[in-house]
Amino acid sequence: MSLKDYEGIAEPGDLRAIERMASVLAGRKMLHVNSTAAGGGVAELLTRMVPLFKDIGLDVRWEVMQADRPFFEVTKNIHNSLQGRGRPLTREMWDEFARVNRENAGRIDLDADFVVVHDPQPAMFIDYRKRGTWIWRCHIDISSPDRAAWHQLKDIVGKYDGSIFSVANFAQSLPIHQFLIQPTIDPLADKNIHLEDEEVKAVYERLGVPLDKPVLLQVSRFDPFKDPLGVIDAYRLAKKYHDCRLVLAGGTATDDPEGEKVLAEVEERAAGDPDIHILLLPPFSDREVNALQRGADIVLQKSTREGFGLVVAEALWKKKPVIAGDAGGIPLQVIEGVTGFLVHSVEGTAYRIRQLLENPERAERMGEAGREHIRRNFLTTRNIKNYLGIWTALERRDEKVIYI
Amino acid sequence: MADERTFRFYECFALTTLTGRKAADILDLLDIMKTVSRESIFHHMHQYFLKPHAVEPEFPNDFAVWVSESLGEPLLAEALANVNPFEFAKIEDLRFELMRIIHEYLDTYPPPRPVLPGREFMFNEGITIVLPTSMECGPQLHDFLLKLREVDYSSIYFHFYESRLRLDRPTDDFSEYLSTSLDRPGIAARIKSLDPYMYSTEVLREKIASLIEEAL
Repeated sequence: MSLKDYEGIAEPGDLRAIERMASVLAGRKMLHVNSTAAGGGVAELLTRMVPLFKDIGLDVRWEVMQADRPFFEVTKNIHNSLQGRGRPLTREMWDEFARVNRENAGRIDLDADFVVVHDPQPAMFIDYRKRGTWIWRCHIDISSPDRAAWHQLKDIVGKYDGSIFSVANFAQSLPIHQFLIQPTIDPLADKNIHLEDEEVKAVYERLGVPLDKPVLLQVSRFDPFKDPLGVIDAYRLAKKYHDCRLVLAGGTATDDPEGEKVLAEVEERAAGDPDIHILLLPPFSDREVNALQRGADIVLQKSTREGFGLVVAEALWKKKPVIAGDAGGIPLQVIEGVTGFLVHSVEGTAYRIRQLLENPERAERMGEAGREHIRRNFLTTRNIKNYLGIWTALERRDEKVIYI
Repeated sequence: MADERTFRFYECFALTTLTGRKAADILDLLDIMKTVSRESIFHHMHQYFLKPHAVEPEFPNDFAVWVSESLGEPLLAEALANVNPFEFAKIEDLRFELMRIIHEYLDTYPPPRPVLPGREFMFNEGITIVLPTSMECGPQLHDFLLKLREVDYSSIYFHFYESRLRLDRPTDDFSEYLSTSLDRPGIAARIKSLDPYMYSTEVLREKIASLIEEAL
C-alpha cells in the first residue's frame, strides 16, 4: 500500500501536503497504541493507516495491549460510563485498569517522537512516558459522561500534550490542546474499493436478494439506537406507493443479549413479508457489505443516536443517496437535500424514500454530490495529513501559522 | 520566490482546535463572543474560505450559518452574513460589530429558544499549516494561468485571502505579482477589485482565470 495508489482518487493538494510534511518528519518515530488488533473501527483504521505512514518514510509502529477478560469488562464499563450509560466504577475496577496499563507499558517500547494513544483503554500509558509528544485520540462521544468516571479519566488525559476528537460536540473541556479530526474511509479498502457489476450481482444472488425491484438498505448492528423497527415501518409506508425491497444487514449477535432481543423483534416485525431480507453477516464481510451498498438504490441509516456514523460516508462514496437520522456525525456527511436527507421520524423517512424512488434522476444527482463530498473531506489521506499537521503543530506550539 | 519575476505557489490547510466553549442560545453566543479569543472569532469568520465545498453553504460565516440552520432566525442570520470580515483591519472591531448586530436584534425581538442538545455552537480556533509547492511560473501570463488552474483551492485562499492579513493591507499576492513583476496593471486592478467575501475559493479561481483569459 502506497500513497501513490491514491493518485487520481484523493485531492492532489492533500497528497502534496503529506509528501511535504513527511519530508520534514522522515525517519522520526511514531507509535500508535490501542487495545485490539482486529475488529472495531480503530483497528480497521490503523490497519490501513500504519502502512501509509511507513510508506511516506516514518519509523512507525503499532502496538496492541495484551489483556484478559476482566480488564475488558472494566474498560467496556468505562466506555459506557463515558457515554453516560455505565454502571458505577469501583476502586477495584480502577485498580485493575491501572494494573493492566502498567504491565503493558512495561512490556511495550514507548520510545517515540510522537505517541498516539487510542481511546480510554491504554490511556494510563502516559504515566510511563519516556519522551516525545503524546496525544490522546478519543474516538467516542464523551459529551455527556457519568461525572465520576469522567473525573477520574480527566486527570489521566490532562497529562497528555494534546487530544483529538471526531466531532466538536463529542468533546469535553480539557486543559490541554484539543484538535478535531473527522474520521475517514479508505477508498482502497475491501469495504470501499470498486467492484464490477458481476460481483455485486453475485453477492446479492448468494445472499438470496433478487435485484428485480428497487433495494433499500440499512447496514447496522441490531441495536435500538439504529431503529431497525422504524426502518421496517418506513419501508411499509413507502411500499404502498412504490414496490421495493428492504435489506437489513447486520452482524451476528451471539455475544450481545440486547442485540439478540432487537433481532428477534425485527424478525417478528418483518414476518411474512418476502421483500424484507434480514442478513446476518459474519465478521469481516467487508466485500459483501461493499456489494450490498453498491447494489442498493437508497441507503438508510435511521439512527436516533450515533457516533460518527462512517457507514454513511461509505454509502455516499458509492454514489448512493442516504436518508439518515439527524444524530452524531451524520449531519456532517448528509447535507440536507444535496447528498441525502436528514430525518426525524418514521413518516419523514417514508416520505423521503418515496421522493427518491419517484425521482431517480434526483437520487442520481445526490449520489454524485455525495461521492464528491466524501472525496474532498472524508478520505483516509485527509486523516494522514491531519495527523502530520497535529504532530508538527504540537512541536511548534507557539505558532498559529506554521510554515513548513 | 526564486526571483522577482517568478511566482511560487503555496498551499495550506487548517487544523481545527476546540476551545471547549459552546452556546445553546443567542444569549450564550453573545456572552462567549465577548471573551472568546481573537483566533476563534477569526476562525469562524474565515474558515469557510479555506474549506473544500462540494456544496456551497448558504452563508459564508459560521455564526450566520448556525443562527440560520440551528436557531432558525433568518433575520439575524442575514444581518450576520452581511458582515464582511475583510473590511476589518482589527479582529476586535469585527467582534464588536458582530456583538452590535446581536444586541440590536435583541432590542427588537425576543431571544429565540435554545437549540436541541448536539446543535450548540462550538467555539473553535484554527492553526494554519503553510506548505511551499514545487509549482512556480516564470514571467509568462499563460504559464501563470496554467499553474493557477492546477494548484489546490487552498492556494487561492493563501494568496488571495490570507495575504490581506500577511501584508496588512487590502491586496492579494496575485494582483501584486501581475502588477509589479509582469507589468500588467490592468488585469491586476480587476483582480484586486474582486470582492473576496462573495466567492468561495473554487469560484474565485474561475473568476481570476477568466479575467486572465480575457487579457490573453
